Amino acid sequence: MRKRTLVVLVGFAVIVVAAVTATLGTAGTSKSHAGYKIFILPKGTGIPVFTQNGLGAKQAGKELGDTVTYNGPTTVSGAAQVPFIDTAARQGYNAIVISTPDANAVAPALKRAAAKGVKIIAYDGDTARDARTIFVAPSTNSLIGQYEVQWMGAQTHYKGQIAILSANATSANQNTWIKFMKQELKKPKYKNMKLVKIAYGNDDPTVSAQQAQALLQAYPNLAGIISPTTVGIQAAAQELQQEGKCGKVQLTGLGLPNDMRKYVKAHCTTKFGLWDEKNLGYLSAYVAHNVVAGKLSGKIGQTFKAGKLGTYKVVVSDGNSPVVVLGPPLVFTPQNIDKFHF
Amino acid sequence: MKALAARVLVRWETLLVAAIVAVGIWSVTLSPFFLRRANLLDLVTPYVYIGLMAFGLTFVVITGEIDISVASILAASIVAFAQIFAHGVGVWPAALIGLAIAGGLGLVNGLLVGVLNLPSLAVTLGTMAAYSGLAFVILSGEGVATFPTGFTKFGGGYLANNELPIALLVMLGFALGLGILLHRTRFGRYLFAIGSNREAARLSGIPVTRVRVTVFVISGLMAGIAGLVYVGYFGSARADAAQLSLLDIVTAVVLGGVGIFGGTGSMPGVLLALILVAEVRNGMQLANLSGQLQNIVIGVLLLAAIVAGNLIAAARTGNRPAKLRRLRKGVTASAPAEAKVLVDSNP
Amino acid sequence: MIAHVRAMKPQELAAAAFRLREIGIVLALIAVVIFFSVRADNFLQASNWQDIAQNVSIVIVVAVGETMVVLTRNIDLSVGSIVGLCGYLVAASLAHHPGMPIVVAALISIAAGLGLGLVNGLLVAVGRIPAIIATLATLAIYRGIDAEITGGKNITAYQLPDRFLSLASSKPLGFPALAWIAVGVAVLGAATLRFVPWARDFYAIGSNPDAARFAGIPSGRRIIMAFALSGALAGLGGFLFASRFPTLDSAAANGFELTVITAVVIGGVNVFGGSGTILGVVLGAVLVATISNGFTLMRLDEFWKIFFNGFAIVAAVTIDALVTRRLQEALRRRRAALLVPPAARSEA
Repeated sequence: MRKRTLVVLVGFAVIVVAAVTATLGTAGTSKSHAGYKIFILPKGTGIPVFTQNGLGAKQAGKELGDTVTYNGPTTVSGAAQVPFIDTAARQGYNAIVISTPDANAVAPALKRAAAKGVKIIAYDGDTARDARTIFVAPSTNSLIGQYEVQWMGAQTHYKGQIAILSANATSANQNTWIKFMKQELKKPKYKNMKLVKIAYGNDDPTVSAQQAQALLQAYPNLAGIISPTTVGIQAAAQELQQEGKCGKVQLTGLGLPNDMRKYVKAHCTTKFGLWDEKNLGYLSAYVAHNVVAGKLSGKIGQTFKAGKLGTYKVVVSDGNSPVVVLGPPLVFTPQNIDKFHF
Repeated sequence: MKALAARVLVRWETLLVAAIVAVGIWSVTLSPFFLRRANLLDLVTPYVYIGLMAFGLTFVVITGEIDISVASILAASIVAFAQIFAHGVGVWPAALIGLAIAGGLGLVNGLLVGVLNLPSLAVTLGTMAAYSGLAFVILSGEGVATFPTGFTKFGGGYLANNELPIALLVMLGFALGLGILLHRTRFGRYLFAIGSNREAARLSGIPVTRVRVTVFVISGLMAGIAGLVYVGYFGSARADAAQLSLLDIVTAVVLGGVGIFGGTGSMPGVLLALILVAEVRNGMQLANLSGQLQNIVIGVLLLAAIVAGNLIAAARTGNRPAKLRRLRKGVTASAPAEAKVLVDSNP
Repeated sequence: MIAHVRAMKPQELAAAAFRLREIGIVLALIAVVIFFSVRADNFLQASNWQDIAQNVSIVIVVAVGETMVVLTRNIDLSVGSIVGLCGYLVAASLAHHPGMPIVVAALISIAAGLGLGLVNGLLVAVGRIPAIIATLATLAIYRGIDAEITGGKNITAYQLPDRFLSLASSKPLGFPALAWIAVGVAVLGAATLRFVPWARDFYAIGSNPDAARFAGIPSGRRIIMAFALSGALAGLGGFLFASRFPTLDSAAANGFELTVITAVVIGGVNVFGGSGTILGVVLGAVLVATISNGFTLMRLDEFWKIFFNGFAIVAAVTIDALVTRRLQEALRRRRAALLVPPAARSEA
């Protein structure tokens, strides 16, 4: 009697597993599909900008005849990306396109995949340089850093304490932009502005909100917050509005127009920027396709055509190489905010 | 002959093997890549660190206690190791220091539970938080991710033409060693005795306090070793490492047939359960299920394992398990009288 | 001292122990306030205290529910997942039906939490699964359901109606709205535990489960009730969480259960069941939040906060267990004198 109960119970467990998979999962391989298999691996799937990347990449995949899979961890962490890298390699993907919050942590796993013949392309959040073939940058890093400081200076009238609300302390793109921000701040016209703190919100909306509140508490005379992450700037804006500090504490950084529209209208920020996230995903997929096809090897000066975006060249950018740069940043102001819908 | 067959077939471990085969068949339907040798050998590699902690935890659970701080011990010991290494100490001496720290943290647990006789759940709940906090203090939000390849091979390296994972060998080695310790030594028998009836064990001359402290040290050390494998495989040492691994660790232990109230369990069972968990997770990964969704399945598996265990215990003794536990711990006939006084004295 | 304790009636003993605990927390609170008002700028400002009150309200609401469970010698680790899941339900409902009255959204949240808590209770009471394991499993299961519902997206603040968002910034009579709700829940919780018969049973079940059963208390039903209440209050906590942190993804309130349990343990609720008060829990939560705030104002590295929380739990648990030991010893000696004649006495 008890043996039967056991068998039933184990069978039940297996059925649950099978049912969940059957209804929700998709097999890693599709029926024979001409074209490459490309895996897009974002920092975290809950963040809207990455969803946009994924959509752009899928569109490129359709144009190129490639299978594009978009999947990743729900919490932003390099370690959480490792199982995805390994599975993609084992399932015979030709390329992994990865944006990571921890440049070094994913390097061993990426190298393992590369040893199995998978091409590695990094975008947005770069990996260790020897772990990827090409890096697709949304814009020139130095420009991003300079612009954000310029926007902040204009809003604070070039004086006061400022703080940076960043994402992860291990994030390559965040640290690069912060480096260029600090460089820009050394210029004489910013001599009355002082960077007092860099806080880390880990690209988590709740943590970012708590960090923003902590900044306001610890530095009551804070003049402005720069947040070079869409999760951070939105959380900071919400915090400022909740505390009634819009206009008293300035805000700028990188943000999505849809997220920030109501704060722009409430005068919480008058200038911030970003780029077209769908285009970034689209371009990255094209780069991946060309690398797998052997047309791009990471040599400086190679050119290729990226569908509707036109021709691109592999360059050295801000000491980083080889890089493909999407273009200059988009700037959002109260005048043009209603024109963008992403 | 029939008796032998019955003894083999009705064992929990046989069921686990059957489940492993069943899940394997299901995995094949998901992806033809499953049966490739490279994939099969690599199945358990991402979960070896979980298996090692499960082995250590098994010792604790068999004595009737629990240790939920193992993941935090792993985190604290690897960040300590990383910081020491980053300050110039050689990687292997630094790793040994990290191991010593892991053992020390386990010792603290052991002293609080074994000597002061505090309830292990409460203690390890607190130390789980404290050790995690300690890890953050040592390494804040950063991570150390540049370790020499000679070291990372321990958790992430491969032999034999890049296919046989070293981590797998590490896990099997420890399973064997710890299994011998548990099932073939006097020390191991002490554990089962203490878990079945602590008072009787004490009365029969077993050094109960010393043994109870030791199992927590073992649990801590295994967390330290798991940490070394973790760093090798994941490539980085961070304070939030392994934070969400407790679910899989406990599932491996419970699914392995270790009685949650102490006194029963087998190391081969835990090893098989770990392989099963790894296989299920691998299958779900092949099906592109998100990590959170996979956790639902593992959670259900955990619950099912306990319920199954309860039913077996009930069938075996003819009593409800709660009564069985009371009989073991020696509740006296003064309970009714105590009840009356208790109800009257509620504030 | 022991002689004096031996002479006290059991209920006086218990009451004295509780008061000792609460007095201890109040003293610690006073010491902390004095320390930070000297060392940190702006600590004593009204706006700072409003911030503390607002942040601690969510913890208090969920902690009241957790207390009920811990009193019965169980634990509920899934409250963080319930808060995250219910918070998302609130946000999703309001985002898709902007005309919905806020109260309805709150009721949805509470109802969902109640259901999830019921499942926990059934697993523990009927399935006979130890609470630590059952709620560890449901922590993962509920979080997974949350991830499935969100579908990898999130709800951003701009999608929610303004009247909902303004809840977190409104301050009726100068005290944050969220804090008023927390105070109400705490008062209701304390009153329930004091006056409602089935709630008083929680203490009996936690002190001695077998004795409680012999005394005729339907432990199974009571435990299910405790978990259901914990879930419902976690649901309310989810509603408050959504109003305070209106951008929600599937990782919302990750790890929140640890904050709640810290407040409960430091507030004097014995993890082994049977003793504790809501007042203590409120004081404990306020103490932890105040120290955290003080650390922030002193611009200390925030990781010291995490370490301090953990260390505080270990200290509180150790002290509590040792104090309980003394209490139980004293109670036992007391009972021995009261009941069976010495000759027939079997060693307890």
